[in-house]
Amino acid sequence: MTLASTKADPASGASAPVAVSLRKVGVTYAMGRPVLEDISFDVREGEFLSIVGPSGCGKTTLLRMLAGLLRPTVGEALFDGQPIMAPSRERAIVFQDYTNALLPWRTVSGNVALALEKTMPVKAERDARVAQLVEKMGLSHAADRFPTQLSGGMQQRVQIARCLSQEPRIMLMDEPFGALDAMTRQTLQDELMALAAERRTTTVFITHDLEEAIYLGDRVIVLSANPGRIAQTIEVELPRPRHQLTTREDPRFLAHRHHLFGLLQGH
Amino acid sequence: MKRLLNLLPPLAFAGALLLIWHVATDLRLVSPVFLPTPARAFGDLAARFADGTIWEPLGATVQRMIFGWFFASLVGIALGAAIGLTPLARDLLEPTLEFVRPLPASAMIPVAILFFGLSENMAVSVIAFGSIWPVLMSSIYGFGAVRVRLQEVSALLGLSRVEFLSKIAIPSAMPDILAGMRSGLAVSLILAVVTEMQASLPGLGRDIFLAQRSFRSGELYAGLVMLGLLGVLINHGLQIAENRLLRWRPQRS
Repeated sequence: MTLASTKADPASGASAPVAVSLRKVGVTYAMGRPVLEDISFDVREGEFLSIVGPSGCGKTTLLRMLAGLLRPTVGEALFDGQPIMAPSRERAIVFQDYTNALLPWRTVSGNVALALEKTMPVKAERDARVAQLVEKMGLSHAADRFPTQLSGGMQQRVQIARCLSQEPRIMLMDEPFGALDAMTRQTLQDELMALAAERRTTTVFITHDLEEAIYLGDRVIVLSANPGRIAQTIEVELPRPRHQLTTREDPRFLAHRHHLFGLLQGH
Repeated sequence: MKRLLNLLPPLAFAGALLLIWHVATDLRLVSPVFLPTPARAFGDLAARFADGTIWEPLGATVQRMIFGWFFASLVGIALGAAIGLTPLARDLLEPTLEFVRPLPASAMIPVAILFFGLSENMAVSVIAFGSIWPVLMSSIYGFGAVRVRLQEVSALLGLSRVEFLSKIAIPSAMPDILAGMRSGLAVSLILAVVTEMQASLPGLGRDIFLAQRSFRSGELYAGLVMLGLLGVLINHGLQIAENRLLRWRPQRS
C-alpha cells in the first residue's frame, strides 16, 4: 500500500512510472511463422490499456507473453525493469474461456480461495477475505454453487474475483467479455472500470471489439495482422467515470470509432 | 413414488426369469443334479446364513478381493498419474505395459504360486495384477486430459508440483479414476473366485467348486447367487461414493 502515493492518476498517466515495457519484441512459432513483429510500447502504472485487432494479429500471444506463459523470440519484455521469464502472482490473467479456467469441482468460494491458500494459510482469515471478494463481485447468493450451475457472466465474475484475490499489480484480460451477451458485457465493463479505478490496478485489456476498446481504455493500441504489428496508438481523453450512453454518444468517442474502423478495414 | 414405479419393470423381468427357472426344474425339464429349483438354491443360501457357515468364506473372499483391488488402485493411480502427466514416464513405461497388459491374469497364477506358494499373498498379487488395468488405463486418460488452461492457472498462481497434483490434477482425473476403479473391482471379484478355485484357498469360489465336485447343486447355486448379490452390493456402494465425490458434475437425468 506504500506504493499508492507514488501511483499517479490515470488522468496524469504520462508521469506515472512504467510498469511494463516491450522493446522491439517479436514472437515466431515453431514453423517459422512470425506471430508478432517489432512490438514496442510501455504501460504506465494505473493505466488502462486496450489492445484491439483482427483475429490472427497475435493479441492473445502478446498477453500470454506479458503473463510469462511464453517468451519473446527477439526483443525484451520487461516488468518493473526486469525481463519477464515466468508467470508471477503479480500479473493476473483473466481468460476468455471462463468455463475452462475455473475448477468445476470447487464452488464459487472454493475457486476464489484457490489463489489465497498459499498466501493466507489461516482458514478463518482466508474465508473472510473470500467472502469479501465474492460479495464485491455480486456473487454472495451463489457462493456455494458450482461453476456449471452459473451463467457465463457469473462464471466470468468468479474468474475476476479469483484474479483480484491475487492482489495483482497488473491485470491481463484476454477478451474476457467476448463470449457474453450484450447486456452482461456492458454491466461487467462498468464494474471492471470501477474496480480498476478503485484499486488503481494497471490493466491490459485485449478485445476485437473497437467500441469496447475505446470505451474502457486510457489508450488504445491497434494491431494489424499477419504478422501482428502496431498499426497505431491513440490516446482516449474521454472523461471518467464513463457512461454507457453518454460516453458512447460523445463526439470524440465517435471520432475515434470512425478513425479506428477505417484503420482496421484498411487491412 | 416415481422411483418405486421405475423399479417395477426390472423386478418383473427378474421375477419372470425365476418363474421360468422354477417351471423348468419343477417339471424336470432339467435334471436337479445340474439345476436345483430356485427355492432350493435360495433355501440353501438362507440356511448358510442361518447357521452362520457363510460368513467365513464370504469374509475371506471379500477381504482378498478388497486387498487386491486396493493395491491395484493405488499403483494404478500412481502409475497413471506419472504416465498421464509426464511424457518421459509415458515413453519409458508404455511399451512394456502394452506387452504385459494382454497377459491373462489367470496365466499369472502359476508364477504367483512359484513366488508366494498357495498363500493369501499369491491370491492378492494375482487379483491386483488383473484389476490394475482398468484403473491404470482410465487414470492415464484422466491425468492426460487435465485441461491445459488449468495447468496455466496453476502456473500463474505459483502452485507447487504437489499442490498441482492434489488441487487440480487428481480432482480433474477423479471421474475417470472412479470409473476405472469400478471396473477394477468387478475384475477383482472374478479373480478372487478363480484363485480360490485354482489354489484351494478358503472362500466362496472354493465352496462352489467343492459343491460341484460332490453334486450338491443347491449349494453350488447358492454360492452363485451370493456372488451375484455381492456384485450388486459393491457396485451400489461405489455408485453412492461416486455420487458424493462427483457432486459437482451436472446431474445426469
